[in-house]
Amino acid sequence: MTYLLELLSSGLAIGAVYGLIAMSFAIIYKSTGLLNFSQGEMSMIIAYVAWSISTGTDGNPFIVAIGSIGFAILFALAVERIAIRPMMGEPILSQIMVTIGLSVIFRALVTLLWDGLPHNMELAAGNALVDFGGIQVRVAQIAVVVMLFVAIAGMWTFFRYSRFGLAMRAVASDDGTAQLMGVKTGRVQMAAWAASAVMSGTAGVLFAIAFELSPSLYGLGLKAFPATILGGLDSVIGSAFGGLIIGVAENLVGGYISSSLKEIAGFVIIILILMIRPYGLFGEKRIERL
Amino acid sequence: MKLITGLTAAVLLALSAGGAAAEQGITDTEILLGDVAPFTGPPGLLGIAHNVGVKLAIAEVNAAGGIAGRQVKLVSEDDGYVTSRTIQSIRKLIGVDKVFALTAMSGTGQAMASMPIVKQAGIPAMVPIGQLPAMYEPPINNVFVVGQTYTEGMRQLALYLAKTHPGAKWGVILQDDDYGKALADGLEQAQADAEINIVFETKYARGQKDFASEMLRVKAANVDVLIAGGIISENIGIVKEAEKLSITPTIAAFWPGRVPEVLKAIGPASDGLIGVDYVTPIQSEAGQAFVELAKNYLSEEEVPRINRYTMTGYASTKVLLTAIKACETDLTWACTIEKMQSNPPVETGVMAPVRFGEDNRFSNSPVTIMRADFETLSYSPVKD
Repeated sequence: MTYLLELLSSGLAIGAVYGLIAMSFAIIYKSTGLLNFSQGEMSMIIAYVAWSISTGTDGNPFIVAIGSIGFAILFALAVERIAIRPMMGEPILSQIMVTIGLSVIFRALVTLLWDGLPHNMELAAGNALVDFGGIQVRVAQIAVVVMLFVAIAGMWTFFRYSRFGLAMRAVASDDGTAQLMGVKTGRVQMAAWAASAVMSGTAGVLFAIAFELSPSLYGLGLKAFPATILGGLDSVIGSAFGGLIIGVAENLVGGYISSSLKEIAGFVIIILILMIRPYGLFGEKRIERL
Repeated sequence: MKLITGLTAAVLLALSAGGAAAEQGITDTEILLGDVAPFTGPPGLLGIAHNVGVKLAIAEVNAAGGIAGRQVKLVSEDDGYVTSRTIQSIRKLIGVDKVFALTAMSGTGQAMASMPIVKQAGIPAMVPIGQLPAMYEPPINNVFVVGQTYTEGMRQLALYLAKTHPGAKWGVILQDDDYGKALADGLEQAQADAEINIVFETKYARGQKDFASEMLRVKAANVDVLIAGGIISENIGIVKEAEKLSITPTIAAFWPGRVPEVLKAIGPASDGLIGVDYVTPIQSEAGQAFVELAKNYLSEEEVPRINRYTMTGYASTKVLLTAIKACETDLTWACTIEKMQSNPPVETGVMAPVRFGEDNRFSNSPVTIMRADFETLSYSPVKD
């Protein structure tokens, strides 16, 4: 039983990382209709900035958190304003290609601005171990699960009750009509990019604390994207659960069957679920009038 | 007609003789060498350090007056560890920059893919990173492999662990590629000579970061000796997970990740990690002498980048430059290749003397088993 619980706890922790980044994919898609394939790279750059702040100061977690969140927002707004907004109205494939181009640039930037070395990101007690009845978990792993549920609650409240959240849903539904109704779509997009950067940055930082910080961290985006598809590309909260499902499935398959099948476990689940629910577990079926 | 044939033959002879006399990459004032390695992305960890070692060997020769009054110059190409870019870079170095010799052809897969081009060109080329038997069996006349194979390194490491941990239960985590296969072969060879009881063995997909399930299985199997067959990030994940699970098997890792940054990234759990390598540890007397030498020639930014790959780059280039120097009066590819195979063993100071032979293009350097010390972020040779 302990073995199963250990697998589940590890699965939830890595799944929460995937979930936060998956939510970032979904929130941009939901509000702009765009798939941002540089999400993993943005997460990596924010983690590197957090590391620079922590090593450049006394490592106070509040300073690191405020500095990193501030950077994440400015970084996302800059990307949106400089690279994405000029592409509005252009074919969606061109817009996606811009995000792929950005991902390559961001990867190169990390080795140019920092280095190609692995680093131990020590931040407060993030690396410390906590014992839950014989099951050891790192503080950063607990933190990432907590952050995921905070993000889920925050997003649910935001979309359901805030005027801005309703505006975002309106833009997602029909940006032309939303504009006619007075919704400033540019602002909605900026907010979506900022929120996605904060969420994926949080995942990157906590992953770096629990595991390591290196230029291969961008690979988290590749693991999180299938979680978005699983949860539903237009479902921010569904994407979070998609991440948890993939993380737990990977660990259970690795623990009970074989490590070789671990990487494909998530994709097998996605294929099966998409065959039954083509719009993902929580995605909405779009009905188009002809 | 006979006259035309005779004239044509004379012109061709003159052209070929002229070509041999003026080998590419050689002028009255300089000798041009080419280096291909990854300087960007995660593999930059090895490529940058390697390039620093190549530059050190060149700087040392230039400071001593160069070769026959010529200064040695280096053209470095970043392939990003992408095979297609390695091939482009090799073609550029040989065909456009017209270098005299190659000091590296990036990693294992990249060097293997570049081999037909290099073989056809006939340019002297060194392989100091990612050695495979296919690179020297059968020997390629102009390609020289310095170091040791992963298979033999693994065999030696396993034999040491079998001797020091009799009756132990072994766990093996390997990458599902050529690198993992080479380690598996070495382990299999060691099993023929020693009792190795493997109770858990698994393969993971390249790039995996979370090793929670693998290490839980290691824990469940009560493993005493664990072969962490990852490269860099993977081994960090494996050892940190062992720390998390409070298990303390003897963990052995391989030379690709035997750099201080990996020990630092793992943290205190890296203390006691067993390693294997054919170059001396930085903390050894020879290693310290190498660092002191490097300080004389490298910039302040380059010195902190020194790691084992600096040593392999340095040693391999020193062997090449020794052969070129022996050809002072006949700076040709043919002479350089001949001197490479006939020179006495070259002492590099960082590994066993390097020697090739008429039918031998592999230095087959002996390995040393070493243990990590987290406090000094270094390895030292084991005494038992």
